[in-house]
Amino acid sequence: MGLARAGFFLSLLLLWQLLSLRGLPAYVLSPLEILRHFGEALGSAELYEHAAASLARSLPGFAIGTFFGALLGLAAGTARWFDRLFSPAVFVSYPVPKIVMLPIFMLWFGIGDLSKILIIALACFYPVFINAYYGVKATPAILVWSALNMGAGRGAIFRRVVLPSAAPMIFAGMRVSLALSFIVMFAAEMINARSGLGHLIREAENSLRFDLMYVSLLAVAILGFAGDRLVRFAQRRLLAWQEQPA
Amino acid sequence: MIKVSQKVLPFLLVAMVLVIWEVAARSGLWSRLLFPSLVSVAYEFGKFVTNPASLHEAWVSLYRALGGFTLAAVVGIFVGMLMGRSKLVAGLLDPLFSGTYAVPKLALFPIFIFVFGIGSLSKVALVFLECLYPVVIMSYHGARSVNRVLLWSAQNMGASRGETLRRVVIPATAPFIFAGFRVAVPVAMIVVVITEMVASADGLGYQVIYALSSLRTDRMLAVVIVIAALGYALDKAVVLARDRLIYWEKLDAYYV
Repeated sequence: MGLARAGFFLSLLLLWQLLSLRGLPAYVLSPLEILRHFGEALGSAELYEHAAASLARSLPGFAIGTFFGALLGLAAGTARWFDRLFSPAVFVSYPVPKIVMLPIFMLWFGIGDLSKILIIALACFYPVFINAYYGVKATPAILVWSALNMGAGRGAIFRRVVLPSAAPMIFAGMRVSLALSFIVMFAAEMINARSGLGHLIREAENSLRFDLMYVSLLAVAILGFAGDRLVRFAQRRLLAWQEQPA
Repeated sequence: MIKVSQKVLPFLLVAMVLVIWEVAARSGLWSRLLFPSLVSVAYEFGKFVTNPASLHEAWVSLYRALGGFTLAAVVGIFVGMLMGRSKLVAGLLDPLFSGTYAVPKLALFPIFIFVFGIGSLSKVALVFLECLYPVVIMSYHGARSVNRVLLWSAQNMGASRGETLRRVVIPATAPFIFAGFRVAVPVAMIVVVITEMVASADGLGYQVIYALSSLRTDRMLAVVIVIAALGYALDKAVVLARDRLIYWEKLDAYYV
């Protein structure tokens, strides 16, 4: 199976490479060319600077969004009055594309990094909130009853029963949030920024530097992939007792 | 007393935010540019929904979102179910989808502009690509987890492959497919708005940017409300369709 899989991907890449020999339009580079340009970019400081600028926006946004998402989601799942006060607003605004708030955030918080970090935080908030909320709600009642029966207090039940049972859902939400944080970061940088990978790809597009376009594309792809692996790794380490969700 | 608080609490937060907003707008501490009065936003909203030219912009965005989504739904269900029922296809395509899942497909947009042009096609193509993932992953997941006993029973009772597919596999996968739809529809709206904000001369995303650059915050907020209402309505439409079609099971996935 592994061999067939590797063969499948290699033949796809080979086909692409062969097609490029026959002459592709200027905006489609062959895999080898992309690899060569990427290797060159790795040797220069430019790519690192833009990648660092992007990460300096997406990571704080992700951290703020997931922190408040988990905190308020757990609170809404546990406290009924807070659920009634807060959850309806979240669920109604959930299907609304949060990126439309970017222009308003730009007016309020300036066109610098703060507005971008906050819009990323806003987008990352929703999946974690909703998952934490449903994670708490899905805690088996029998476990809570048993804990009560054995004399556990409210704090102990939350810490020892509710939190562990909601944790896998929270991690699933964080995985979605991480993917979202990269999308929103990229979008915000494409719309308005002077640095970052999204800005780099726009600049490349405007000056028809197709090599630079593919380099920034590959860099974003690698960052997104690596971030996803990191969250999954953390989940496996922290929630070793859990069966891994599909 | 409890009943009253149950009914009032959900609106309390929204009402508080709106009141604070209006007070801030009227206090004169901030420029009208930052906090336009809700009255002027409502006025601009009224103007937007009664102006045929503005409604056309909304329609442009809507057909881009729905076009890409529909394509992704058709292709995604087919590919996902094929992956779920065939080990070979799953082995070949699963690494492709799970490996590129966390990669922002939005980064392909500049290339899509060169390939498909700056008009609707590049946007529809990107919506298709982004929506494909949740639909494929959910239908794959659903088709894979069809109860084996049901399949055996159907075969035992002499059902043909086509009948098994139609009467067992599809009904068992359908709830998952709709869960995928519920993830994909907001994604479609997000991608349309972003691409229109980045590179477009029409659509709601462009209207937001246009209002911003002409420093009409009230008009911008009115368009934002239109986008929000569209996103909400599309989600409700999916839920409504699901409740009518898939009455035997309810499945929600807010994450994929």
